[in-house]
Amino acid sequence: MDINITGGRIFYEIPIDFPLLGRFQITETLVVSWIVMLLITGLCIWLGHDLKEENISKRQALAEMLVEMAEKFVVGNMGEAFRYMIPFVAALFTTSVVSNLISLIGLRSPTADLSTEAAWAVVVFTMITAQKIKTSGFGGYLKGFTTPIPIMTPFNILSELATPISMACRHFGNILSGVVINTLIYAALAVASSALLGLLPGALGGVLSRIPILDVGIPAVLSVYFDWFSGVMQAFIFSMLTVMYIANAAEG
Amino acid sequence: MGVQELVGIVPWTFIAQILNLFIQMYLIKRFLFKPVNAMLEKRKAAADAQIQDAAKAKEEALALKSEYEQSMQEARSKANEIVNNAQRTAALKSEEMLKEASQQAVAIKAKAESDIEQEKRKAINEVKNEIGGMAVEIAGKVIEREVSEEDHAKLIDQFIANVGEAS
Repeated sequence: MDINITGGRIFYEIPIDFPLLGRFQITETLVVSWIVMLLITGLCIWLGHDLKEENISKRQALAEMLVEMAEKFVVGNMGEAFRYMIPFVAALFTTSVVSNLISLIGLRSPTADLSTEAAWAVVVFTMITAQKIKTSGFGGYLKGFTTPIPIMTPFNILSELATPISMACRHFGNILSGVVINTLIYAALAVASSALLGLLPGALGGVLSRIPILDVGIPAVLSVYFDWFSGVMQAFIFSMLTVMYIANAAEG
Repeated sequence: MGVQELVGIVPWTFIAQILNLFIQMYLIKRFLFKPVNAMLEKRKAAADAQIQDAAKAKEEALALKSEYEQSMQEARSKANEIVNNAQRTAALKSEEMLKEASQQAVAIKAKAESDIEQEKRKAINEVKNEIGGMAVEIAGKVIEREVSEEDHAKLIDQFIANVGEAS
């Protein structure tokens, strides 16, 4: 039995070569990302319409709770000055969670593509750097690399660059491992059920062994960890790190 | 249809995802945070207004209370005054009545005394007349003769004088 684990499919390629960037590809990652965005935006519109001051519905209570949670998360960790970061962190977290969990309905997670996490990590890295320059000035930022002694400069640069790389790879690795393990488990269980039911005598065994009965139910148990737990956890970690790094950068 | 590499960065996807993230940020801000925050703001304003109203109402209530207390105080002092007046009047009246009563009693007593005196005199006179008669009779019997009218009157007067001295 062959198992093939690949990246996302490429649906369409615009046949124009851009310098450096190559051809624009409509990949599975992008399509599912747009689906994710539609889902989130739809949810937001549904939650945010028709709000009342009193006698509120459950829907509105949920909307208020989510907004307050986002506010508490950002303001609580970064302080009152970073109130403007709330929508960004909320977008980062929501996109990450929904992207991770969308694999539950059979689509390929956009987060199972390193491009996605790399994009987010670079944005966050830019914000961290901007915050550092804002706090201690451009000179102070550059000088920060030479602390505590000038010989440390290469290591400081490395550790600076390690931030976005580790953030992206951590998230990507967790989601990809989920994809890989799920694929392996489905395949293994299919082989196991075919071998098990093949023991049945005659034509019955022959028919039943073609149906991967063990694939029903058992992967769902593993999916509790690899999709639900890991998915939510990675989104949380990514947002938490974003918030923490930027807050630290502000302290100088 | 081709597939991507399992691990790798596709430049266009990378750029698109950055844009997607910011578009998503705008959409969440526009459709969730803006309406919810606007609503929360409005609710806060309403709550503030209510608190202010309550404070004002409390102030008014306190003013009313002090006013009420003051009027109660006034009413109480007025009531006290009335009661005091009534008590004073009653005392005066009762004193007057007592005085009147004692005056009356004195008058009655005087009248009774004068009545008694009069009765006494009347009784004395009666007794005097009767005794006079009896004396004449007795004298007549003693003397066995008619006493002249002149002697009679003289005797009587003498006798009465004696009786008057004796009584």
